[in-house]
Amino acid sequence: MSQTPNHRTEQPRGPVAFSTALRGRRHRRVLAASVLGLSLLVAACNPAAQQAPAPAEEEGGIDFAAAPTGALAISGYNPSDDVAQARADHAESQLADVDIKLDTTSFDTQKFAAQAASGDVPDLIRADRNLIATLADQELIMPIDECYAAKGVQPREYFYPATIDDVTYDGAVYGVPEFFQPSALLVNTRVLDEAGVGLDEVSTADPAAMVSLAERLSEVDGGTPKRLGFDADLPGSAAMWMVLRGGKVQEADGRPALDSPENVATLTWMKELMDAQGGYPAIKSFKDSQDVFGEENPYSADEVAIGTWAQWYVNVLSDYAEDIELAAVPITDATGQPFAMAGGSAFAIPAAAANPAAACAWAVSVTSQEAWMAAGDARAATVEEEDAINTGLFTGSPVADQAVREAHVGDSGSEQFDQVISTYYDVLANPRTRGASAVGEQIGNDLENAVIVTLSDESTPEEALAEAQASSMRAWEQSRAGS
Amino acid sequence: MSAAHTVRAAAELTDSPQPARRRRPRKVREKYSWRESLAGYLFISPWLIGFLTFTVISMTWSLVLSFTDYNLATGRQTPVGFENYALVVEDPKVVTSLLNTFVFVVLSVPLELVLAMVLALLLNNVRRGSGLFRTLLYLPKMTPAVATAAVFLLLLNGNDGAINAVLEFFGLPGPQWLSDPDWVKPSIVVMGLWGVGGSMVLLLAALRNVPRELQEAAAVDGAGSAARFFRITVPMISPTVFFVVVVNTIAALQVFDQAYLLFYRDGNSNAPDAALFYGVYLFQQAFQQFNFGLAAAMAWLLFVIILGITAVQMLVGNRTVHYEGGR
Repeated sequence: MSQTPNHRTEQPRGPVAFSTALRGRRHRRVLAASVLGLSLLVAACNPAAQQAPAPAEEEGGIDFAAAPTGALAISGYNPSDDVAQARADHAESQLADVDIKLDTTSFDTQKFAAQAASGDVPDLIRADRNLIATLADQELIMPIDECYAAKGVQPREYFYPATIDDVTYDGAVYGVPEFFQPSALLVNTRVLDEAGVGLDEVSTADPAAMVSLAERLSEVDGGTPKRLGFDADLPGSAAMWMVLRGGKVQEADGRPALDSPENVATLTWMKELMDAQGGYPAIKSFKDSQDVFGEENPYSADEVAIGTWAQWYVNVLSDYAEDIELAAVPITDATGQPFAMAGGSAFAIPAAAANPAAACAWAVSVTSQEAWMAAGDARAATVEEEDAINTGLFTGSPVADQAVREAHVGDSGSEQFDQVISTYYDVLANPRTRGASAVGEQIGNDLENAVIVTLSDESTPEEALAEAQASSMRAWEQSRAGS
Repeated sequence: MSAAHTVRAAAELTDSPQPARRRRPRKVREKYSWRESLAGYLFISPWLIGFLTFTVISMTWSLVLSFTDYNLATGRQTPVGFENYALVVEDPKVVTSLLNTFVFVVLSVPLELVLAMVLALLLNNVRRGSGLFRTLLYLPKMTPAVATAAVFLLLLNGNDGAINAVLEFFGLPGPQWLSDPDWVKPSIVVMGLWGVGGSMVLLLAALRNVPRELQEAAAVDGAGSAARFFRITVPMISPTVFFVVVVNTIAALQVFDQAYLLFYRDGNSNAPDAALFYGVYLFQQAFQQFNFGLAAAMAWLLFVIILGITAVQMLVGNRTVHYEGGR
């Protein structure tokens, strides 16, 4: 006979009673206290629960014109060479009452995100210009038009307008740019001579002719490239080639514009170019194995006939001037107009910076003509000491570029390098930019990914660019600018 | 003999149809000592604090985050309900990265288990210098992932990498490991095998615990080495094998560092889609696009997936794993 236990009258005893008691009042109290404690801990650790660091603006505005004082924490600037050290020294000399601390590690978005979440950010950051609009969109950095005004700098006059476009978001300037190192074609004339190709045949104006020339100049042994006929620097320079061919990667407001017919045509050209020289996978492995900075660099070892290189690489090759035969050809559009498109870095002031006035003063000072001249002097001294070639500084400012060139860049004693250096200076006459976008880095990443999947035969140019566009649009719609 | 056994024995002796009444052992209630409790809690407090801070609070916070649109600069959180989860489901890159991750799991977990087993069996039979070999084979596990990736970038180069040189020596064509989409995942698997020493040590310890008498008895009965391995060794070490499979599966589902270092080390996305793993895409959403809510939702989706896969493994394991003394 089964019995239904009467819970009211038959109270369990012994261990059962003990466990019941645990489940009882005391247990509930412990549980409630634990939940409350956990909630308090979560709330305490929750950045949202913390008071957002009051920007100086809310306390009566930032007096950018005042003499800078106090402590200044700078992140991402590394005075590791003569140029950077001379500029830092100049800025420090201008800010005598400021205690400057440099975090010399490169800007890292993960680290900066953690700093921003904790409210403990540096006063000044140095980041890729591609990131500035994204950081502005996230309200992580402040507009600095007033900083420029206080220091008497007209940004669009002192800097290349293209560099200012890169750091302009929603009509306000958010960064102080530095460096504008355009790309040009560096031609290995020794290889060209061997192939019976004249320098006048090297031109980017006709895409189909470039593919034929690349095939003619390249060497492939059993599917393995031994020499690249024309290295278009893909996917890194994909945006440049698309803009050059009449396309664009984003609209004026920053909205992605990757899947246009012009871009599809350019990506198709990239595929043809790579396939003509052994295909992307083999070329990628070949390039990964090259000794880019050493004695066996691609030009010394004749591993490339024509390469797309930013200006900094001329400085690398100048150490091996005896071993190479070099010429530079401007990258030109369909009309033959020279074309200079480059990225670079910029200084920006975090929205929660404790000392934005000093940050402004330092950023303006380190990019001033005086700072660049000090850097030019330092570089000239190094060049003289090492009996090297002064290839110039491409500062991001036409004023500083010209001043340094006139003071220090002249006859190098190498006719070929004089021509190369001169070509890079010449293309600066037509600086272009991709422009700023709240999702600029994402657009760049999606474009490069589209190039890779196309070159790797994972997708067609149309599909790859459509997917890239969709991906960038998803990011755009989640951004403040796009929502 | 316990009280219960005594009672049972007495009942059998009396042969009574009425079962003997079992007397519940009297529980001696010890006096509660708050000092002892406090000492105990103090001893485990470092772990407790770490567990609360880095696991419980972090997970709770990420769960909250997954239902909000979080502005990093202002700390402002706007509740968005399940919108982040909807975005995760709609994002084709999430599907791509999940598929890549599953393929990686299917490739890497069995391969690592087999290789670890082979190495453990070899070491188990080494009479002299086994300690040295054990150390040498475990050393790669201690090597930082960045250093390992730097070495493997050279080893896996499709044109002049050492791995292809070895393949070429045997007349085999070497693939473009790092740039051919078909070989991207195998290249990461190969790099992962570098750290096989961890699983190997566990399996070796299990092999050392297999009673020699069982092997000898089976040999006397005429069992060959293969039969002894599959009928005695494998069942005896199956709990360890099961543990290795579960842990390696979880680790493979969370793969990040190998893929990131081989293909995304410069912060760009110029890698084939085949290299886009779930952990990498989650990282990109959080720290390149600052979509912390979406990234948190992705993290919870992964957590649920891991939970599901582990639950299935536990179900299968409970039926196939041999536990000494039963369960």
